[in-house]
Amino acid sequence: MDAIEAVDIQKKFGNITAVNSVSFKVKEGEIFGFLGPNGAGKTTTIRMLTGLLKPDRGYAMIMGYNVIDEPIKAKMLVGVVPEDANPYPDLSSWDNLVLVGRLYGLSGRDIKDRASKMLKLLGLYDIMDRKAKNLSKGQRQKLLVAMALINNPKVLFLDEPTGGLDVLSARMIRELILELKRNGVTVFLTTHNVEEAGALCDRIAIIKNGRIVELGSPDELKIKVGAYTYVTITFNRALESRELVFLEPCEYKVQASKLLIVCSKPVEAIVKAVEFAKEAGLEILDIRISSPTLEDVFVKVAKGE
Amino acid sequence: MRTEQAHMLKRVWAICWKDIKLYYAKGPIVVTGVLFPIFLWIAFYAGRGLDLREGLGSLITLTLLFTASSVTPIIAPWETRQRTLEMVLSRPITVRLMLIGDILASTIFGLIFVIPLIVLGIILNIMPANMFLTMVIVLLTAVGLSSLGIMFSALPTDTPADAVLLSSSIKLPLIFVSGVLVPITQLPTWILPITLLSPITYPTDFLRLQYLGNGFLPSYLDLTVTTLFTLAFTILALKLHEKTMLVRLQRR
Repeated sequence: MDAIEAVDIQKKFGNITAVNSVSFKVKEGEIFGFLGPNGAGKTTTIRMLTGLLKPDRGYAMIMGYNVIDEPIKAKMLVGVVPEDANPYPDLSSWDNLVLVGRLYGLSGRDIKDRASKMLKLLGLYDIMDRKAKNLSKGQRQKLLVAMALINNPKVLFLDEPTGGLDVLSARMIRELILELKRNGVTVFLTTHNVEEAGALCDRIAIIKNGRIVELGSPDELKIKVGAYTYVTITFNRALESRELVFLEPCEYKVQASKLLIVCSKPVEAIVKAVEFAKEAGLEILDIRISSPTLEDVFVKVAKGE
Repeated sequence: MRTEQAHMLKRVWAICWKDIKLYYAKGPIVVTGVLFPIFLWIAFYAGRGLDLREGLGSLITLTLLFTASSVTPIIAPWETRQRTLEMVLSRPITVRLMLIGDILASTIFGLIFVIPLIVLGIILNIMPANMFLTMVIVLLTAVGLSSLGIMFSALPTDTPADAVLLSSSIKLPLIFVSGVLVPITQLPTWILPITLLSPITYPTDFLRLQYLGNGFLPSYLDLTVTTLFTLAFTILALKLHEKTMLVRLQRR
């Protein structure tokens, strides 16, 4: 069974189509990244998947439950850290957890056990009586994560979970996400930190103008989108640019004895350069290849290249 | 099925508990709930030399108006502004159950202030003719006024003052046209059509009948109309919020 299934979901606000015919499936235990520029439709999609918004068309399923027809059953299996949401500022961390535990229908004993465990795990145990308004931004974010995990969710939606966190806290959240995956939890992650998504996610969907424009594993996306690889070759003497027209349509630049090639098929370019070196009696002193990053992929897709 | 219903009740109670902790168990709210009705009552009744028996029914209605509908108008706008509403609605709770929790908290708050007045009456030998029906109308009025407050907050705003303004501009005139401070029989006749449209006319009249033995309308009519008002306000409050919640979440 798929943990999350979106089938042709669409949402319009007035004349604006925020999400347009979006379909995808997320397998159980998978970390699924959902990336896109601001206003692309990420939060609207999450709100439809978590039952906050009703799609105008299509439907969403969580662990086999239709989110609109059986919202409570679907939500019982889900933990959510919504974008920009807050715990109740005038309730203590403990009370915020108790409130959420009660909403999940947990018994008093379970709430106590789970809340203590979560607070310890996230380093908030010693300040459990502090009102949420007196916590730092990072502590509040950790509290939201604890609140999302109190019910032992099967599916976890994280909307910008590390936004605004310091390096250590962000790393702690990333480690926690990987730990959850090891325990079989499905994670749906949106983040502006593209490299974070690349490091954590099994698959990534990129949404633009309400439509999914790319979907695949980080490596597949790099190949599929044809993100550029940077190849730097150092020869034993200076080169003339006009000698290298054979490299076109790749972009290239000559800096004395160094040749910088920007292309999507680096092997082909290197073979051509080696052949050229043989014919011209040149010696190749060094070859360096910089793989494309997921950020390169994202920029290319976001720009519509 | 029974477990499901128990879970539903747990959720409603969770919201009620949160409201009591966050909004009702606060000094200024408690003071407002006590002072406003007492001052108004003193100004109109004690100031004219009338005794407690004469005005106990009015004091009960006033107290319900100033307690049961005092906080409900601000909860939704406030929680929209504080960005806690989406956090709650992402959990296994529907808008409807969340609002029922809000109504429950507000009703309890109203009853906490009104029950001592009824007990005080009993101590001073000022008894209603029918204690059971008196409690029924008090409960219905508390639920109805709580729902009325929730209705005001259906305005999809994140500014509590907007909802308070709307609430006050409707609630305050009601005091003067519903026979709360001046009996209906002493009101100018041209006000009567407005009086009959006011939801607090009927509990006020019913309580007057209970404590003084003279009402303007038959008691069954007071009870029936109060029940209808309560049902209408509750259904409207839930429906309006379900309609405007999307706009509210977008506005956040």
